Amino acid sequence: MNKLDPEIARLITAKEQRRHKLAALPFAEKVRLVVKLQQMAAPVLRARGRPVAVWRLDDLKPVLR
Amino acid sequence: MEKTLQVLNDLVRDGVLSRYAIGGAMGATFYAEPVLTFDLDIFVILPRTGSGLLTLEPLYDALRARGYTEEGECVNIEGIPVQFLPAHNDLLVEALTEAREVFYDQTPTRVMRTEHLVAIALQTGPDKDRERVRLLREQAALDREYLANVLTRHRLAGK
Repeated sequence: MNKLDPEIARLITAKEQRRHKLAALPFAEKVRLVVKLQQMAAPVLRARGRPVAVWRLDDLKPVLR
Repeated sequence: MEKTLQVLNDLVRDGVLSRYAIGGAMGATFYAEPVLTFDLDIFVILPRTGSGLLTLEPLYDALRARGYTEEGECVNIEGIPVQFLPAHNDLLVEALTEAREVFYDQTPTRVMRTEHLVAIALQTGPDKDRERVRLLREQAALDREYLANVLTRHRLAGK
């Protein structure tokens, strides 16, 4: 098996750490992130003909830090 | 989403629903990293009708009376499309019965246990649900013994 380039290994580790950090967020924070994902994905999906609606949250605050 | 959950809690209080729990992608998001979804899967135990049949109609009537309208398979409740899924087998009834009581900000709600989310995804089987199993196994704190018990009892152990 090829040895991973140290820089690639570092990036993969950082990505894993970020995913676990996201998993540990409070539920309400995660829901706000889901809405952010919806906002990103909706134009692509609509362009493909899939009608999707982004949730209207009453408590949508910036959460990405 | 807090207002949506408050409406669901009101439906339980008013006897329209016996019990509800968040499942599906949003249930998994409670335990793992956020995943893209456009609807909120709410599993419900419905009061039986006089004929013994399960029907969503009384629930939809109660929601219409509160001003919430159907959009395809969902009902839009306070800006969120909610899909109500009746518990139609033993695994779902168990998952609802043993769902965890949690808080979304200040509002109490119920989320299915991780182990039941895994079992339901295995029972359902499409690729998206398999991905959910992988995610939960990787990121969520699973009670292995509890999961093995659930999978054995519901004949999912080999899946």
